[in-house]
Amino acid sequence: MSGLRVALEQAGPIPLAAAFDCPRGQLLALVGPSGSGKSTILRCIAGLHRAQRGRVECGGVVLFDSAGGVDVSPQQRRVGMVFQDYALFPHLSVLDNVTLPLRALPAAERERIGRGLLERTRIAGLEARRPHQLSGGEQQRVALARALARDPAVLLLDEPFSAVDQVTRHRLRLELASLSRTLEVPIVLVTHDLDEASMLADQVCVLHRGETLQQGAPDAVLARPASAQVARLIDMRNLFEAQLNGHSAEQGWSELGWGGRTLRCAYAPGYDPGSRVAWCISPTNVLLIPERLRREEGENGLDTAILDLLVGSALTQAVLKCAGPPGLLLHMTLPTRVARRHALAVGGSLRISLPREAIHLMPAAAREGGRRAPT
Amino acid sequence: MDWDAFSISLQLAAATTVILLLGSVWLARWLAWSSFPGRSLVEGVVALPLVLPPTVLGYYLLVAFSRDSLLGRVFETATGTTLAFSFSGLLLASLVYSLPFAVQPLLRAFEAIPPRLREAAWCSGLGGWATFWRVELPLAWPGVLSAAVLTFAHTLGEFGVVLMVGGNIPGSTRTLAISIYDRTQAFDDAAAGSMSLLLLGFALVTVSVVYAVERRRAQLPKAAGQVAP
Amino acid sequence: MVAAPRHAGWRRLALALGCACLASLPAAAPALAQGVRVAAASSLAFVMLELEEAFRAEGGAQLRVSLGSSGVFARQIARGAPFDLFLSADEGYVERLNADGHARDAGSVYAIGRLVLFVPAGSPLDPAIELAELPRAHADGRLERLALAQPEHTPYGRAAREALQASAAWDALQPALVYGESVAQAARFATTGAAQAGLLAWSVALQPQVAGQGSYRVLPESLHAPLRQRMVLLRGASVDAEGFYAFLRGARARAIFTRHGFSVPGGG
Repeated sequence: MSGLRVALEQAGPIPLAAAFDCPRGQLLALVGPSGSGKSTILRCIAGLHRAQRGRVECGGVVLFDSAGGVDVSPQQRRVGMVFQDYALFPHLSVLDNVTLPLRALPAAERERIGRGLLERTRIAGLEARRPHQLSGGEQQRVALARALARDPAVLLLDEPFSAVDQVTRHRLRLELASLSRTLEVPIVLVTHDLDEASMLADQVCVLHRGETLQQGAPDAVLARPASAQVARLIDMRNLFEAQLNGHSAEQGWSELGWGGRTLRCAYAPGYDPGSRVAWCISPTNVLLIPERLRREEGENGLDTAILDLLVGSALTQAVLKCAGPPGLLLHMTLPTRVARRHALAVGGSLRISLPREAIHLMPAAAREGGRRAPT
Repeated sequence: MDWDAFSISLQLAAATTVILLLGSVWLARWLAWSSFPGRSLVEGVVALPLVLPPTVLGYYLLVAFSRDSLLGRVFETATGTTLAFSFSGLLLASLVYSLPFAVQPLLRAFEAIPPRLREAAWCSGLGGWATFWRVELPLAWPGVLSAAVLTFAHTLGEFGVVLMVGGNIPGSTRTLAISIYDRTQAFDDAAAGSMSLLLLGFALVTVSVVYAVERRRAQLPKAAGQVAP
Repeated sequence: MVAAPRHAGWRRLALALGCACLASLPAAAPALAQGVRVAAASSLAFVMLELEEAFRAEGGAQLRVSLGSSGVFARQIARGAPFDLFLSADEGYVERLNADGHARDAGSVYAIGRLVLFVPAGSPLDPAIELAELPRAHADGRLERLALAQPEHTPYGRAAREALQASAAWDALQPALVYGESVAQAARFATTGAAQAGLLAWSVALQPQVAGQGSYRVLPESLHAPLRQRMVLLRGASVDAEGFYAFLRGARARAIFTRHGFSVPGGG
């Protein structure tokens, strides 16, 4: 298939055990904490770093293959790279920065393409300026335009929005999203911001210490992490351990013993009765039960007390304490208008429901080595 | 005013500057961007002429240039004249004692170029030479100028090594600095005074130029996101 | 690539400097080495000026004179320094050069030098003072420093040492001695007042710049071995050099030598 396929391994200085692929026209977000090797992987794809073992292939062209002794130089890989601090050439004008990859073309052609790229990245009119005369957002666009000038087979972005303010970041994200729809190449975006990843990416790949733990669509990964470790990495706040009491295959549920209560979740035959499991539920999937509606036990109703409320402009985050011992904490995220409608306040009581389908089971022990989970 | 000595001094300084600049650009680039065991040793050796007394340097050079040494013998068979007490010997000696004055400003200039800029150039399709010509050199330009001016001025003013290795041969190794000493010995204070004034003026101009260049370098815009040094 | 105005200015300046440097580079090494290359002891500084003038007046070739310490010249010549003629301030260096094959022959004595005690104006000492009294002058503080040429490699320095030894003053004056690299440098120490007295060559003390700075007394020849100054043509010396050599042995040159603090040998 055309698109990007990456498999890299090395013991140090930054350990890597990563494998992922990104089809043409899709945007893959590499997420993970600092030091998890995201930038290193990007540099390997660009040819700026040689991993000890592995293979990088893009659009059918092998860029790196340790077994076959192939290592194409960065100059010859058609990779468009946007560096974290943009790395614009301070002694060149914006137009010259952007057209530098086009040195081989005649001047008139170079200028035409360059101006076209500036238009595309919405910075037409800044041709003669120098990088230090530009704002952060404008510099980022120049870096992007320069990367696109390469007519790249793959576009790499290394935390491109980390250095700009919130408002600019929002605007740039929108532009990147629309750009990625028109570009027919794989795009790899490195970010530590999960929201950004879920907004922009078609696929999310979670990294920890150089190892790819899970790759999948954003809502799949963020709602159904493959392991407790991934759950922690994606900041899944409702992460618990429970005992799998039993299954009911005909009725399609499995039963969990959790904190003295029983919960019913979707049928999960992969786990043995009596074993310990980990489970999680996304805070957005925790449902508020209005007073007047009482559901059956099957939907895991719980009485809670509101410990804390963070009311944002669009979303409210609530920390709930479950009634009865051992007083476990649940996080709930709901639209602010709903929170207002129900007059939620700290100290008040609240009945919530955990839908069966939203409860996601994972193996209990947090192992260091993970596998790519099937999506 | 000893115009012969003036001419010899200028020629020596010019030749030393041109040769050293060409060689030092590569040496400085290599030192700036490779790390290898023993790198500190290489940097130390390069800086050695700065801290060695000129007589020590002159002594070792004299031994290296003598008729009994390999270098001296090769030179003598090739050209028929000795390496010591010749302009070529002086040139060789100048290359040694002015080396740190050429390498150090260049090294600082190249080190100040963020490695990401070179990587961005490579990712933009520029090979090694193109990256040097279009990215590294334009950014290191003030360092090149500093190196050139310092090397020229230092060579112009060198005395101890020149005296030991070149002797005081009028017309081939009597540089301006030697001539001043010579005229002083001969109680010709008028000549010594005028030549000293010339060298003083030249040194003043040199130092001013170097400081002006350094000030400009500090003002040059850096790559976005970088802090100016 | 469009260069910004600021950089274009610097580039042009640097380019101009570079061109100026290159333009001053010769096509070959300096070709100014015509003329007779003479290595002369520094005690001959003043007399060389008149000798040169007289030689040129007779139609002689251009001279290129280096002044310095005889011992240093001898060593340089042994290492191949390209001189045509060596006028040493003694005989020993010339004999050694001849023995080692660097000289054409044994050369000839061109002059005999004399040692003087020079005292700069304003010094607490009087040039009439005997050398034997100098230790007492040092002890009571009138003589802090006595300048002389380096005895190791200058004939006049050696003669000064012999004279002091003969006067039983050498050991006592050790802490007061300052050595010049050549007798000319010793003269500098004395004239500038850095030393309160100096043991110099008579020819140096006669130089207007030195004589005007103080007074001197010619020391008896018996105090030191004779300062027989020998000159020699070196291997590879040019015909012009031979001309100057012959001139120096002629009557006119001898008269000049005599006027400048030397005596000349009877038969040469």
